[in-house]
Amino acid sequence: MKTATTGARGALGFVRELGETASSLWWQFFDWLAQVPMRQLVITWVLALLLTATPAIHPEQAVAFIFISLGLKVLAGGKRKAEIEARRASQQAGTEELERRLVEAQMAALQAQVEPHFLFNTLALIGQLIETDPPQAAQIHQHLIDYLRSTLPQMRSRGNGTLARQITLSRSYLAIMQARMKTRLAVSIDVPPELESATFPPMMLQILIENAIKHGLEPKIEGGRIDIRAASAGTMLQVDVQDDGVGFSRYAGDGIGLANVRERLKLVYGTRAGLQIETPAEGGCRATIRVPFAPDIFAEHAR
Amino acid sequence: MKAPTALIADDEDAMRDMLRTRLAECWPGLAIVAEAANGLEAVALAGRHQPDVVFLDIRMPGLSGIEAARMLFNRCHIVFVTAYDQYAIEAFEQGALDYLLKPVGGERLKTTCARLESRIGQRPTDIAAQLSRLLDGHAGTAGGGSRTGRDYLHWIQAQVGSSLRMISTREILFFQADEKYTRVQTAQGEVLIRKTLKELADELDPDEFWRIHRSTLVRVDAIAEVTRDLRGRQMVRVKHCAEQLEVSRGNTHLFQQM
Repeated sequence: MKTATTGARGALGFVRELGETASSLWWQFFDWLAQVPMRQLVITWVLALLLTATPAIHPEQAVAFIFISLGLKVLAGGKRKAEIEARRASQQAGTEELERRLVEAQMAALQAQVEPHFLFNTLALIGQLIETDPPQAAQIHQHLIDYLRSTLPQMRSRGNGTLARQITLSRSYLAIMQARMKTRLAVSIDVPPELESATFPPMMLQILIENAIKHGLEPKIEGGRIDIRAASAGTMLQVDVQDDGVGFSRYAGDGIGLANVRERLKLVYGTRAGLQIETPAEGGCRATIRVPFAPDIFAEHAR
Repeated sequence: MKAPTALIADDEDAMRDMLRTRLAECWPGLAIVAEAANGLEAVALAGRHQPDVVFLDIRMPGLSGIEAARMLFNRCHIVFVTAYDQYAIEAFEQGALDYLLKPVGGERLKTTCARLESRIGQRPTDIAAQLSRLLDGHAGTAGGGSRTGRDYLHWIQAQVGSSLRMISTREILFFQADEKYTRVQTAQGEVLIRKTLKELADELDPDEFWRIHRSTLVRVDAIAEVTRDLRGRQMVRVKHCAEQLEVSRGNTHLFQQM
Protein backbone atom coordinates (compact mmCIF):
# COMPACT_ATOMS: atom_id res chain seq x y z
CA MET A 1 0.00 0.00 0.00
CA LYS A 2 2.75 2.31 1.09
CA THR A 3 4.87 1.50 -1.97
CA ALA A 4 1.88 2.18 -4.20
CA THR A 5 1.50 5.71 -2.81
CA THR A 6 5.21 6.36 -3.19
CA GLY A 7 5.01 5.04 -6.74
CA ALA A 8 2.08 7.30 -7.58
CA ARG A 9 3.86 10.29 -6.06
CA GLY A 10 6.98 9.41 -8.06
CA ALA A 11 5.00 9.26 -11.30
CA LEU A 12 3.32 12.57 -10.50
CA GLY A 13 6.70 14.16 -9.85
CA PHE A 14 8.00 12.79 -13.16
CA VAL A 15 5.07 14.26 -15.09
CA ARG A 16 5.52 17.61 -13.38
CA GLU A 17 9.22 17.63 -14.20
CA LEU A 18 8.45 16.76 -17.81
CA GLY A 19 6.02 19.67 -17.99
CA GLU A 20 8.57 22.06 -16.53
CA THR A 21 11.28 20.92 -18.95
CA ALA A 22 8.93 21.30 -21.89
CA SER A 23 7.89 24.79 -20.84
CA SER A 24 11.48 25.90 -20.30
CA LEU A 25 12.47 24.51 -23.72
CA TRP A 26 9.55 26.35 -25.30
CA TRP A 27 10.59 29.63 -23.70
CA GLN A 28 14.18 29.09 -24.80
CA PHE A 29 12.97 28.55 -28.35
CA PHE A 30 10.76 31.64 -28.11
CA ASP A 31 13.63 33.80 -26.78
CA TRP A 32 15.90 32.55 -29.55
CA LEU A 33 13.25 33.31 -32.13
CA ALA A 34 12.72 36.80 -30.78
CA GLN A 35 16.38 37.68 -30.92
CA VAL A 36 17.59 35.89 -34.02
CA PRO A 37 18.22 38.20 -37.02
CA MET A 38 15.86 37.70 -39.98
CA ARG A 39 18.71 36.58 -42.23
CA GLN A 40 19.68 33.71 -39.93
CA LEU A 41 16.06 32.69 -39.66
CA VAL A 42 15.80 32.48 -43.45
CA ILE A 43 18.96 30.36 -43.54
CA THR A 44 17.39 28.05 -40.94
CA TRP A 45 14.31 27.72 -43.15
CA VAL A 46 16.44 26.81 -46.17
CA LEU A 47 18.24 24.20 -44.03
CA ALA A 48 14.89 22.83 -42.87
CA LEU A 49 13.75 22.58 -46.49
CA LEU A 50 16.98 20.82 -47.44
CA LEU A 51 16.40 18.34 -44.60
CA THR A 52 13.08 17.38 -46.18
CA ALA A 53 15.17 15.58 -48.81
CA THR A 54 16.22 13.17 -46.05
CA PRO A 55 13.71 10.74 -44.55
CA ALA A 56 14.10 12.35 -41.05
CA ILE A 57 11.77 15.26 -41.74
CA HIS A 58 8.56 15.40 -43.73
CA PRO A 59 7.94 18.42 -45.97
CA GLU A 60 4.74 19.21 -43.96
CA GLN A 61 6.78 19.53 -40.76
CA ALA A 62 9.27 21.89 -42.37
CA VAL A 63 6.49 24.05 -43.79
CA ALA A 64 4.70 24.11 -40.43
CA PHE A 65 7.93 25.13 -38.71
CA ILE A 66 8.46 27.94 -41.21
CA PHE A 67 4.92 29.24 -40.78
CA ILE A 68 4.88 29.04 -36.99
CA SER A 69 8.29 30.67 -36.58
CA LEU A 70 7.50 33.41 -39.08
CA GLY A 71 4.16 34.09 -37.37
CA LEU A 72 5.66 34.23 -33.91
CA LYS A 73 8.55 36.39 -35.05
CA VAL A 74 6.24 38.91 -36.69
CA LEU A 75 3.53 38.96 -34.03
CA ALA A 76 5.37 38.69 -30.69
CA GLY A 77 9.07 38.75 -31.47
CA GLY A 78 9.56 42.50 -31.23
CA LYS A 79 7.92 42.82 -27.83
CA ARG A 80 9.73 39.82 -26.43
CA LYS A 81 13.07 41.10 -27.72
CA ALA A 82 12.53 44.46 -26.06
CA GLU A 83 11.61 42.71 -22.82
CA ILE A 84 14.75 40.58 -22.86
CA GLU A 85 16.95 43.58 -23.58
CA ALA A 86 15.32 45.63 -20.84
CA ARG A 87 15.80 42.84 -18.31
CA ARG A 88 19.44 42.44 -19.28
CA ALA A 89 20.06 46.18 -19.03
CA SER A 90 18.43 46.43 -15.61
CA GLN A 91 20.43 43.45 -14.36
CA GLN A 92 23.62 45.09 -15.49
CA ALA A 93 22.57 48.40 -13.95
CA GLY A 94 21.78 46.51 -10.74
CA THR A 95 25.23 44.96 -10.63
CA GLU A 96 26.90 48.28 -11.33
CA GLU A 97 24.77 49.95 -8.66
CA LEU A 98 25.74 47.27 -6.13
CA GLU A 99 29.42 47.63 -6.95
CA ARG A 100 29.24 51.41 -6.64
CA ARG A 101 27.46 51.19 -3.28
CA LEU A 102 30.03 48.71 -1.99
CA VAL A 103 32.95 50.93 -2.95
CA GLU A 104 31.23 53.92 -1.33
CA ALA A 105 30.49 51.99 1.85
CA GLN A 106 34.09 50.80 2.07
CA MET A 107 35.43 54.30 1.62
CA ALA A 108 33.05 55.60 4.27
CA ALA A 109 34.19 52.91 6.71
CA LEU A 110 37.80 53.83 6.19
CA GLN A 111 37.28 57.55 6.41
CA ALA A 112 35.12 57.34 9.50
CA GLN A 113 37.74 55.27 11.19
CA VAL A 114 40.59 57.35 12.49
CA GLU A 115 38.86 59.48 15.03
CA PRO A 116 40.70 62.77 15.63
CA HIS A 117 39.97 62.50 19.34
CA PHE A 118 41.74 59.14 19.51
CA LEU A 119 44.67 60.38 17.46
CA PHE A 120 45.31 63.52 19.53
CA ASN A 121 44.86 61.76 22.84
CA THR A 122 47.36 59.09 21.80
CA LEU A 123 49.86 61.69 20.62
CA ALA A 124 49.48 63.56 23.92
CA LEU A 125 50.08 60.30 25.78
CA ILE A 126 53.24 59.60 23.77
CA GLY A 127 54.45 63.14 24.48
CA GLN A 128 53.99 62.61 28.20
CA LEU A 129 55.58 59.14 28.19
CA ILE A 130 58.67 60.40 26.37
CA GLU A 131 59.46 62.27 29.58
CA THR A 132 58.36 59.73 32.16
CA ASP A 133 58.76 56.33 30.49
CA PRO A 134 60.63 56.42 27.14
CA PRO A 135 60.48 52.64 26.45
CA GLN A 136 56.70 52.64 26.82
CA ALA A 137 56.51 55.77 24.66
CA ALA A 138 58.37 53.90 21.91
CA GLN A 139 55.98 50.96 22.23
CA ILE A 140 52.83 53.08 22.00
CA HIS A 141 54.40 54.97 19.12
CA GLN A 142 54.91 51.67 17.25
CA HIS A 143 51.32 50.57 17.97
CA LEU A 144 50.03 53.86 16.62
CA ILE A 145 52.07 53.43 13.45
CA ASP A 146 50.72 49.88 12.97
CA TYR A 147 47.19 51.07 13.55
CA LEU A 148 47.45 53.97 11.12
CA ARG A 149 49.18 51.87 8.48
CA SER A 150 46.30 49.45 8.26
CA THR A 151 43.62 52.07 8.69
CA LEU A 152 44.50 55.00 6.46
CA PRO A 153 43.10 54.35 2.98
CA GLN A 154 46.16 55.58 1.09
CA MET A 155 48.39 53.13 2.88
CA ARG A 156 46.11 50.15 2.63
CA SER A 157 47.60 47.21 0.85
CA ARG A 158 46.03 44.04 -0.43
CA GLY A 159 45.82 41.06 1.88
CA ASN A 160 43.95 42.91 4.62
CA GLY A 161 41.03 40.59 4.23
CA THR A 162 41.91 37.80 6.64
CA LEU A 163 40.71 37.45 10.19
CA ALA A 164 44.30 37.33 11.45
CA ARG A 165 45.06 40.67 9.76
CA GLN A 166 41.98 42.25 11.31
CA ILE A 167 42.89 40.93 14.75
CA THR A 168 46.43 42.32 14.45
CA LEU A 169 45.09 45.76 13.60
CA SER A 170 42.74 45.66 16.58
CA ARG A 171 45.50 44.46 18.90
CA SER A 172 47.45 47.66 18.20
CA TYR A 173 44.37 49.73 18.91
CA LEU A 174 43.60 47.82 22.11
CA ALA A 175 47.20 48.12 23.32
CA ILE A 176 46.96 51.90 22.96
CA MET A 177 43.60 52.00 24.76
CA GLN A 178 45.02 49.85 27.57
CA ALA A 179 47.93 52.25 27.99
CA ARG A 180 45.41 55.09 28.30
CA MET A 181 42.73 53.43 30.43
CA LYS A 182 45.19 51.35 32.49
CA THR A 183 43.33 48.99 34.84
CA ARG A 184 39.96 50.20 33.57
CA LEU A 185 40.31 48.04 30.45
CA ALA A 186 40.84 44.26 30.38
CA VAL A 187 41.06 42.48 27.03
CA SER A 188 40.87 38.85 25.96
CA ILE A 189 41.16 37.59 22.39
CA ASP A 190 40.32 33.99 21.56
CA VAL A 191 40.78 33.03 17.90
CA PRO A 192 41.52 29.38 17.06
CA PRO A 193 44.62 29.12 14.76
CA GLU A 194 42.65 27.32 12.02
CA LEU A 195 40.40 30.39 11.63
CA GLU A 196 43.21 32.89 11.22
CA SER A 197 43.38 32.48 7.46
CA ALA A 198 39.61 32.82 7.07
CA THR A 199 38.38 35.64 4.85
CA PHE A 200 36.91 38.48 6.86
CA PRO A 201 35.85 41.92 5.57
CA PRO A 202 38.14 44.79 6.63
CA MET A 203 37.37 47.27 9.43
CA MET A 204 34.27 45.48 10.74
CA LEU A 205 35.84 43.94 13.84
CA GLN A 206 37.54 47.27 14.52
CA ILE A 207 34.23 49.17 14.33
CA LEU A 208 32.65 46.77 16.85
CA ILE A 209 35.62 47.06 19.21
CA GLU A 210 35.68 50.85 19.05
CA ASN A 211 31.93 50.93 19.75
CA ALA A 212 32.34 48.63 22.74
CA ILE A 213 35.04 50.88 24.21
CA LYS A 214 33.53 54.24 23.32
CA HIS A 215 29.92 53.54 24.24
CA GLY A 216 30.27 50.66 26.70
CA LEU A 217 33.46 50.95 28.72
CA GLU A 218 34.75 54.54 28.55
CA PRO A 219 31.55 55.95 30.09
CA LYS A 220 31.72 53.41 32.93
CA ILE A 221 33.64 54.74 35.95
CA GLU A 222 35.21 51.45 36.99
CA GLY A 223 35.78 50.37 33.35
CA GLY A 224 35.42 46.72 32.40
CA ARG A 225 36.47 44.01 30.02
CA ILE A 226 36.13 43.26 26.33
CA ASP A 227 36.16 39.70 24.98
CA ILE A 228 36.77 38.95 21.33
CA ARG A 229 35.99 35.41 20.20
CA ALA A 230 35.92 33.66 16.86
CA ALA A 231 34.33 30.28 16.19
CA SER A 232 33.19 28.31 13.18
CA ALA A 233 29.94 26.42 12.95
CA GLY A 234 29.75 24.39 9.75
CA THR A 235 29.95 26.82 6.87
CA MET A 236 29.64 29.95 9.00
CA LEU A 237 32.32 31.97 10.77
CA GLN A 238 31.14 33.82 13.83
CA VAL A 239 33.03 36.65 15.52
CA ASP A 240 31.77 38.04 18.85
CA VAL A 241 32.74 41.26 20.56
CA GLN A 242 31.35 41.35 24.09
CA ASP A 243 31.78 43.99 26.76
CA ASP A 244 30.42 44.40 30.28
CA GLY A 245 29.95 48.15 29.93
CA VAL A 246 26.99 50.44 30.48
CA GLY A 247 24.78 48.68 27.93
CA PHE A 248 22.68 50.00 25.17
CA SER A 249 20.00 52.64 24.76
CA ARG A 250 16.98 51.79 22.67
CA TYR A 251 16.76 55.40 21.61
CA ALA A 252 20.39 55.75 20.52
CA GLY A 253 20.74 56.14 16.78
CA ASP A 254 22.11 53.19 14.83
CA GLY A 255 25.31 55.16 14.35
CA ILE A 256 27.39 55.36 11.21
CA GLY A 257 29.57 52.44 12.26
CA LEU A 258 26.94 49.73 12.72
CA ALA A 259 24.88 50.88 9.74
CA ASN A 260 28.02 50.73 7.62
CA VAL A 261 28.87 47.21 8.77
CA ARG A 262 25.34 46.07 8.02
CA GLU A 263 25.30 47.70 4.58
CA ARG A 264 28.63 46.17 3.57
CA LEU A 265 27.63 42.70 4.78
CA LYS A 266 24.47 42.95 2.73
CA LEU A 267 26.30 44.10 -0.40
CA VAL A 268 28.98 41.41 -0.20
CA TYR A 269 27.03 38.42 1.11
CA GLY A 270 23.34 39.24 0.68
CA THR A 271 21.28 37.58 3.40
CA ARG A 272 23.92 34.91 4.06
CA ALA A 273 25.75 37.17 6.52
CA GLY A 274 24.49 39.26 9.38
CA LEU A 275 25.23 41.56 12.29
CA GLN A 276 23.43 40.90 15.53
CA ILE A 277 23.41 42.98 18.71
CA GLU A 278 22.36 41.51 22.03
CA THR A 279 22.31 42.70 25.61
CA PRO A 280 23.00 39.61 27.76
CA ALA A 281 21.19 39.14 31.06
CA GLU A 282 24.44 39.83 32.97
CA GLY A 283 24.71 43.30 31.39
CA GLY A 284 26.90 44.94 28.79
CA CYS A 285 26.54 44.34 25.11
CA ARG A 286 27.43 41.62 22.61
CA ALA A 287 27.84 42.23 18.89
CA THR A 288 28.12 39.25 16.57
CA ILE A 289 29.11 39.12 12.91
CA ARG A 290 28.42 35.95 10.94
CA VAL A 291 29.87 35.45 7.48
CA PRO A 292 30.05 32.40 5.20
CA PHE A 293 33.20 30.42 5.82
CA ALA A 294 35.11 28.01 3.63
CA PRO A 295 37.59 26.02 5.74
CA ASP A 296 41.09 26.38 4.36
CA ILE A 297 41.95 22.79 3.41
CA PHE A 298 45.57 23.68 2.66
CA ALA A 299 46.23 25.28 6.03
CA GLU A 300 47.49 22.04 7.59
CA HIS A 301 49.98 21.42 4.77
CA ALA A 302 51.22 24.96 4.64
CA ARG A 303 52.32 24.86 8.24
CA MET B 1 46.39 85.94 50.95
CA LYS B 2 46.58 82.15 50.85
CA ALA B 3 48.29 80.37 47.96
CA PRO B 4 45.98 79.70 45.00
CA THR B 5 44.72 76.11 44.78
CA ALA B 6 43.65 73.88 41.88
CA LEU B 7 42.02 70.57 41.13
CA ILE B 8 42.82 68.43 38.09
CA ALA B 9 40.24 66.05 36.65
CA ASP B 10 41.09 63.62 33.84
CA ASP B 11 40.35 59.91 33.47
CA GLU B 12 43.88 59.16 32.21
CA ASP B 13 46.68 59.26 34.80
CA ALA B 14 49.28 60.19 32.19
CA MET B 15 47.29 63.29 31.27
CA ARG B 16 47.02 64.34 34.92
CA ASP B 17 50.78 63.84 35.30
CA MET B 18 51.37 65.99 32.24
CA LEU B 19 49.21 68.85 33.42
CA ARG B 20 50.64 68.73 36.95
CA THR B 21 54.22 68.85 35.64
CA ARG B 22 53.50 71.70 33.22
CA LEU B 23 51.63 73.74 35.81
CA ALA B 24 54.54 73.35 38.23
CA GLU B 25 56.80 74.89 35.56
CA CYS B 26 54.48 77.71 34.51
CA TRP B 27 52.98 78.61 37.85
CA PRO B 28 55.05 77.33 40.78
CA GLY B 29 52.80 79.12 43.28
CA LEU B 30 49.73 77.07 42.38
CA ALA B 31 49.02 74.19 44.76
CA ILE B 32 47.31 71.12 43.28
CA VAL B 33 45.08 70.07 46.17
CA ALA B 34 43.31 67.13 44.57
CA GLU B 35 43.10 64.99 41.43
CA ALA B 36 39.97 63.28 40.15
CA ALA B 37 39.63 60.39 37.67
CA ASN B 38 36.00 61.04 36.67
CA GLY B 39 33.37 63.75 36.65
CA LEU B 40 31.57 62.68 39.83
CA GLU B 41 34.81 62.54 41.77
CA ALA B 42 35.73 65.99 40.44
CA VAL B 43 32.51 67.51 41.77
CA ALA B 44 32.88 65.76 45.15
CA LEU B 45 36.55 66.75 45.58
CA ALA B 46 35.88 70.32 44.48
CA GLY B 47 33.19 70.51 47.16
CA ARG B 48 35.58 69.26 49.82
CA HIS B 49 38.68 71.27 48.86
CA GLN B 50 37.09 74.46 47.48
CA PRO B 51 39.89 75.06 44.91
CA ASP B 52 40.21 78.40 43.10
CA VAL B 53 40.64 76.71 39.72
CA VAL B 54 39.37 73.40 38.31
CA PHE B 55 40.97 71.88 35.21
CA LEU B 56 38.38 69.61 33.62
CA ASP B 57 38.84 67.04 30.86
CA ILE B 58 35.73 67.00 28.70
CA ARG B 59 35.30 63.30 27.94
CA MET B 60 35.17 61.60 31.31
CA PRO B 61 33.08 58.75 32.71
CA GLY B 62 30.49 59.48 35.35
CA LEU B 63 29.89 63.10 34.41
CA SER B 64 31.38 64.77 31.36
CA GLY B 65 33.59 67.78 32.01
CA ILE B 66 30.87 70.10 30.80
CA GLU B 67 28.24 68.57 33.09
CA ALA B 68 30.68 68.84 36.00
CA ALA B 69 31.35 72.49 35.12
CA ARG B 70 27.65 73.21 35.25
CA MET B 71 27.66 72.13 38.89
CA LEU B 72 30.81 74.06 39.78
CA PHE B 73 30.92 77.20 37.71
CA ASN B 74 29.90 79.76 40.30
CA ARG B 75 32.27 78.37 42.90
CA CYS B 76 35.55 78.30 40.99
CA HIS B 77 37.22 79.25 37.73
CA ILE B 78 36.91 76.54 35.11
CA VAL B 79 39.45 75.61 32.47
CA PHE B 80 38.59 72.85 30.04
CA VAL B 81 41.30 70.51 28.81
CA THR B 82 40.54 68.55 25.67
CA ALA B 83 42.37 66.60 23.01
CA TYR B 84 40.15 67.55 20.12
CA ASP B 85 36.69 68.92 19.99
CA GLN B 86 35.96 71.38 17.28
CA TYR B 87 32.48 72.28 18.54
CA ALA B 88 33.54 72.99 22.08
CA ILE B 89 36.55 75.00 21.00
CA GLU B 90 34.42 77.13 18.74
CA ALA B 91 32.09 77.84 21.64
CA PHE B 92 34.92 78.63 24.05
CA GLU B 93 36.46 81.07 21.63
CA GLN B 94 33.31 83.13 21.66
CA GLY B 95 33.01 83.23 25.40
CA ALA B 96 34.72 83.77 28.69
CA LEU B 97 35.65 80.15 29.30
CA ASP B 98 39.24 79.16 28.95
CA TYR B 99 40.36 75.95 27.34
CA LEU B 100 43.60 74.06 26.79
CA LEU B 101 44.45 71.56 24.10
CA LYS B 102 46.33 68.36 24.87
CA PRO B 103 49.24 67.98 24.86
CA VAL B 104 49.21 70.91 27.25
CA GLY B 105 52.26 73.14 27.38
CA GLY B 106 54.21 76.11 26.10
CA GLU B 107 52.98 79.65 25.57
CA ARG B 108 49.30 78.73 25.59
CA LEU B 109 49.49 77.44 29.17
CA LYS B 110 51.44 80.54 30.26
CA THR B 111 48.69 82.78 28.87
CA THR B 112 46.07 80.75 30.72
CA CYS B 113 48.02 80.91 33.96
CA ALA B 114 48.51 84.69 33.67
CA ARG B 115 44.79 85.15 33.02
CA LEU B 116 43.84 82.97 35.97
CA GLU B 117 46.32 84.70 38.30
CA SER B 118 44.77 88.07 37.56
CA ARG B 119 41.26 86.76 38.15
CA ILE B 120 41.73 84.73 41.31
CA GLY B 121 39.94 86.44 44.14
CA GLN B 122 37.30 87.81 41.76
CA ARG B 123 33.96 86.14 41.31
CA PRO B 124 34.05 83.55 38.52
CA THR B 125 32.29 84.82 35.40
CA ASP B 126 28.74 83.63 34.96
CA ILE B 127 28.95 81.05 32.25
CA ALA B 128 25.66 79.24 32.75
CA ALA B 129 24.29 80.22 29.36
CA GLN B 130 27.42 79.10 27.54
CA LEU B 131 27.46 75.82 29.41
CA SER B 132 23.92 74.98 28.51
CA ARG B 133 24.68 75.83 24.90
CA LEU B 134 27.68 73.51 25.05
CA LEU B 135 25.66 70.77 26.69
CA ASP B 136 23.06 70.93 23.94
CA GLY B 137 25.73 70.66 21.29
CA HIS B 138 27.31 67.88 23.26
CA ALA B 139 24.36 65.64 23.92
CA GLY B 140 25.40 63.35 21.10
CA THR B 141 28.96 62.74 22.23
CA ALA B 142 28.33 62.76 25.98
CA GLY B 143 26.08 59.72 25.51
CA GLY B 144 22.31 59.95 25.77
CA GLY B 145 20.54 63.21 26.44
CA SER B 146 17.92 64.62 24.20
CA ARG B 147 18.51 66.45 20.99
CA THR B 148 16.10 68.92 19.52
CA GLY B 149 12.64 67.45 19.19
CA ARG B 150 11.70 64.08 20.54
CA ASP B 151 13.67 60.87 20.48
CA TYR B 152 12.22 58.02 18.50
CA LEU B 153 12.75 54.36 19.13
CA HIS B 154 15.72 53.13 17.08
CA TRP B 155 16.14 49.64 18.51
CA ILE B 156 13.59 46.91 19.18
CA GLN B 157 14.38 44.50 21.99
CA ALA B 158 13.39 40.87 21.60
CA GLN B 159 13.97 38.14 24.16
CA VAL B 160 16.03 35.34 22.61
CA GLY B 161 17.05 32.75 25.18
CA SER B 162 18.62 34.55 28.12
CA SER B 163 19.71 37.53 26.02
CA LEU B 164 17.86 40.49 24.69
CA ARG B 165 18.50 40.86 21.00
CA MET B 166 18.69 44.44 19.78
CA ILE B 167 17.21 44.84 16.32
CA SER B 168 17.90 48.11 14.55
CA THR B 169 14.74 49.63 13.09
CA ARG B 170 16.66 49.94 9.82
CA GLU B 171 16.70 46.15 9.56
CA ILE B 172 12.98 45.76 10.11
CA LEU B 173 10.67 45.29 7.13
CA PHE B 174 7.35 45.44 8.97
CA PHE B 175 5.53 44.83 12.24
CA GLN B 176 2.35 42.82 12.34
CA ALA B 177 -0.04 42.40 15.25
CA ASP B 178 -0.49 38.72 16.05
CA GLU B 179 -2.94 38.01 18.91
CA LYS B 180 -1.02 38.78 22.11
CA TYR B 181 2.29 39.44 20.37
CA THR B 182 3.69 41.60 17.64
CA ARG B 183 5.62 39.92 14.86
CA VAL B 184 8.82 41.70 13.80
CA GLN B 185 9.87 40.74 10.28
CA THR B 186 13.43 41.27 9.03
CA ALA B 187 15.14 39.99 5.88
CA GLN B 188 16.71 37.24 8.01
CA GLY B 189 13.55 36.03 9.73
CA GLU B 190 10.97 36.94 12.30
CA VAL B 191 10.77 37.35 16.08
CA LEU B 192 7.88 37.97 18.42
CA ILE B 193 7.81 40.83 20.92
CA ARG B 194 5.29 41.78 23.59
CA LYS B 195 5.08 45.47 22.74
CA THR B 196 1.75 46.24 21.10
CA LEU B 197 1.44 47.78 17.69
CA LYS B 198 -0.10 50.87 19.23
CA GLU B 199 2.85 51.41 21.58
CA LEU B 200 5.23 50.93 18.66
CA ALA B 201 3.31 53.35 16.48
CA ASP B 202 3.60 55.97 19.24
CA GLU B 203 7.32 55.50 19.80
CA LEU B 204 8.61 55.00 16.26
CA ASP B 205 9.44 57.81 13.87
CA PRO B 206 6.22 58.33 11.83
CA ASP B 207 8.34 59.18 8.79
CA GLU B 208 10.19 55.88 9.06
CA PHE B 209 7.20 53.58 9.62
CA TRP B 210 3.74 53.94 8.15
CA ARG B 211 0.63 52.36 9.50
CA ILE B 212 -1.03 50.84 6.46
CA HIS B 213 -3.51 48.66 8.33
CA ARG B 214 -4.92 48.24 11.82
CA SER B 215 -2.48 45.40 12.34
CA THR B 216 0.48 46.43 10.14
CA LEU B 217 3.29 48.98 10.42
CA VAL B 218 5.64 48.95 7.44
CA ARG B 219 9.02 50.62 7.04
CA VAL B 220 8.72 53.06 4.17
CA ASP B 221 12.23 52.36 2.83
CA ALA B 222 11.47 48.64 2.61
CA ILE B 223 8.46 49.00 0.32
CA ALA B 224 9.22 47.54 -3.10
CA GLU B 225 5.90 48.25 -4.83
CA VAL B 226 2.21 48.74 -4.31
CA THR B 227 -0.21 46.86 -6.52
CA ARG B 228 -3.92 46.16 -6.67
CA ASP B 229 -5.23 42.63 -6.39
CA LEU B 230 -8.26 41.22 -8.22
CA ARG B 231 -10.63 42.51 -5.55
CA GLY B 232 -9.24 46.03 -5.92
CA ARG B 233 -7.41 46.07 -2.59
CA GLN B 234 -4.05 47.82 -2.45
CA MET B 235 -1.28 45.37 -1.61
CA VAL B 236 2.23 46.34 -0.50
CA ARG B 237 5.12 44.13 -1.54
CA VAL B 238 8.17 44.43 0.70
CA LYS B 239 11.80 43.91 -0.37
CA HIS B 240 13.38 40.53 0.55
CA CYS B 241 10.01 39.08 1.53
CA ALA B 242 7.41 37.10 -0.36
CA GLU B 243 4.53 38.20 1.84
CA GLN B 244 2.04 40.78 0.55
CA LEU B 245 0.59 43.27 3.02
CA GLU B 246 -2.89 44.61 2.71
CA VAL B 247 -3.52 48.35 2.88
CA SER B 248 -6.77 49.05 4.66
CA ARG B 249 -9.32 51.24 2.95
CA GLY B 250 -8.73 54.13 5.36
CA ASN B 251 -5.03 54.29 4.57
CA THR B 252 -5.05 54.14 0.77
CA HIS B 253 -4.35 57.90 0.70
CA LEU B 254 -0.74 57.03 1.66
CA PHE B 255 -0.17 55.62 -1.80
CA GLN B 256 -2.22 57.95 -3.94
CA GLN B 257 -0.75 58.63 -7.37
CA MET B 258 1.52 61.64 -7.37
